[in-house]
Amino acid sequence: MIAEAKKLQFRSTSKGKITDKIAKIIFMSATILSASFIFVIAGIVLVRGVIPFTTDNLGVGRVSLFSFLTGDIWLIGETFASNLYSIGFIIISTLFITLLSLAISFPVGVLTALFIAKIAPKPLAKVLRTVIETLASIPSIVFGLFGAGVILKLVYDFSALIGYQSKGGNSILSVVIVLALMTIPTITTISEVAIRSVDKSIEQGSLALGASKTQTNFKVILSSAKSGIFTAAILGIGRSLGEATAVSLVAGGRRAGISFDLLDTTSTLTTIMLEGLKETTGIDYDIRFSVGLVLMVVILLTNLLLNSIKRRVGVVNVKE
Amino acid sequence: MSKNKKRKASDFVLNSITYLSSTVSLITLLGILIFIFGQGFKLLNVDLLVENFESQGYVADLYDNVRLCNCEPTIEFDENTYYSPKWGVALSDTTDLLGRTVVKVEFVDKDSPLYKVRDKGIGNDPIELRDEYHIIRIAFDEYPTALSRYGSENMINYLEANDSLREIEFQTEGGGIRGSIITTLYLIVLTLAFALPIGIAAAIYLNEYAPANKVTKLMRSLIETLTGVPSIIYGLMGLAVFVPLTVKLTSATGGNLLSGAMTLAVILLPIIIRTTEESLKVIPDDYRQASLALGASKTQTTFQIVLPSAVPGIMTATLLAIGRIIGESAALVFAIGTAIKDEVSLTGKSTSLAVHIWAMMTDEPANIELSATIAIIIMFIVVILNILIKIISGRYMKRKMGVSS
Repeated sequence: MIAEAKKLQFRSTSKGKITDKIAKIIFMSATILSASFIFVIAGIVLVRGVIPFTTDNLGVGRVSLFSFLTGDIWLIGETFASNLYSIGFIIISTLFITLLSLAISFPVGVLTALFIAKIAPKPLAKVLRTVIETLASIPSIVFGLFGAGVILKLVYDFSALIGYQSKGGNSILSVVIVLALMTIPTITTISEVAIRSVDKSIEQGSLALGASKTQTNFKVILSSAKSGIFTAAILGIGRSLGEATAVSLVAGGRRAGISFDLLDTTSTLTTIMLEGLKETTGIDYDIRFSVGLVLMVVILLTNLLLNSIKRRVGVVNVKE
Repeated sequence: MSKNKKRKASDFVLNSITYLSSTVSLITLLGILIFIFGQGFKLLNVDLLVENFESQGYVADLYDNVRLCNCEPTIEFDENTYYSPKWGVALSDTTDLLGRTVVKVEFVDKDSPLYKVRDKGIGNDPIELRDEYHIIRIAFDEYPTALSRYGSENMINYLEANDSLREIEFQTEGGGIRGSIITTLYLIVLTLAFALPIGIAAAIYLNEYAPANKVTKLMRSLIETLTGVPSIIYGLMGLAVFVPLTVKLTSATGGNLLSGAMTLAVILLPIIIRTTEESLKVIPDDYRQASLALGASKTQTTFQIVLPSAVPGIMTATLLAIGRIIGESAALVFAIGTAIKDEVSLTGKSTSLAVHIWAMMTDEPANIELSATIAIIIMFIVVILNILIKIISGRYMKRKMGVSS
């Protein structure tokens, strides 16, 4: 009986078998295509990004890789027609800005998550969750506009108050604030999931041992959710490093010299890529790919570093 | 006892810190909303959505057989608006988007000789002088020319002193965002047309066909890696891959809507694949087995049983994708360009709403008001999308629970 049924099925679907095969091949090629884009991206940025270092750039001269990575002057534009492109100072200011913005967004984001998950009364938690969701879905250009329209003025007034002439508020401080505001929702959302998934028994154990609710929240729950909270920080850093248009509206565009002065203008790897857009050939066009290459390497290295730290931190759980 | 007190105090401090931290997000959201509505609300009207961005200049004169109006105004004016009964027009002083003082038309009577004038530039075509247009100069016969920089009161006095005029030069208002709205719509349609078929097909393969081996795992993680790539890097890829590709295949000469849509499609692939796959995962295997047992082929099962059940997931993916397309700026700056255009074509440059903001904000002087108006529109769409996603996933969850119970 079964054999007969199988035979019957086989006969009726022998034509379907070919369509099945074709369909499978189509679905598979879509998957392979999707998976291959990461190589296309990395490949094209690499191939174009090394051009300034390997050719003489239509007569301008070869860019030295060493001075590109370590120098502190960026002479873009046809008027200069130079090969003096270096982003050493920009790499450092990018990392500096990312670190500072994380110093604001990480504590604020995690504490907001703790508040929503454990402390806030239910209606308030619901409102706040909607607020965070809305903030998370606001496009970065709107944050940039808010930065240019509000944060710049605040920073400018603040700097005037302490007797400092800032360039219309365009400064490291403005960039840090804008990036912090943008990353808080990311950090909050992921930390909240981590905090919620902490085992109830750990919480109850702490309470049973006589710890107060607040002590439990801060000492037991936060350290149990450490791994997830760390992931939130990694994603926040990724967003800060890659953010371009919002930052470009408040950075001020620094072309030379490193500065850690919070009220001084600055450039990041992304804002420098957005400059000199009009070029379509030559070094001003290619150099953007070199900067993109550096940005990708910076992001990759930070991720590797943070993930290795996470692995080390993650092992020690509730042992404080 | 004192220890207890101390603990209570520290608990109170710690709790207060969390309350304070939470207000940061609340203040940010309120701040953004107050800012964009405060700056942009006054420009928000239907004209803005249908008008061109570039203002158009016209030089016109009167038709031969017109008569003077000598009519009373049908509406009330404030004290800064000046009215000429003879010509039936009201003018006021204002500043344009670039901060220059200009004379604005407040009102034109239907019987005014200026209501319909002859466009001198291109023959005899009639052209209307409408409210909100800016008058640059009015030249008379044997009388000094009234220039906009002398103000509206002067212009009205000159008009009252004359019975005819030689020519009038005026400008349409401009500052509309019709081109950017059309571009954004084009981008949404094109990008989804590229990304949805590929994304859904990949999700089907990964969930329905792919063997559980290392290759599949590798492909999954390669696709997942795409989500970590910053959008400006996607922009570089668009610039170096899709722009030359479209230039070669079409009449485009530089960045264009097609290259922009292709770039956006790559950005969206991981989102679409993940969301679709999640909705495929929750379809009970019984469905597939029942379908196969009834003699349907694997392909039939996929298209007639699996895909229809995944529709809510695909819809969520589409809405997420639309949100991302509307908000994306950095990638499009590279993959299309920043030229704000009123005439939109698939192979030409133009800006989406988000890039429109960026282009105006990096221009000198920055146009914050119009940017804020566009931001209101973007925020409105984003909120609507969010609500739709919630409704769909809410219904879906209910149905899912219904199935499992």
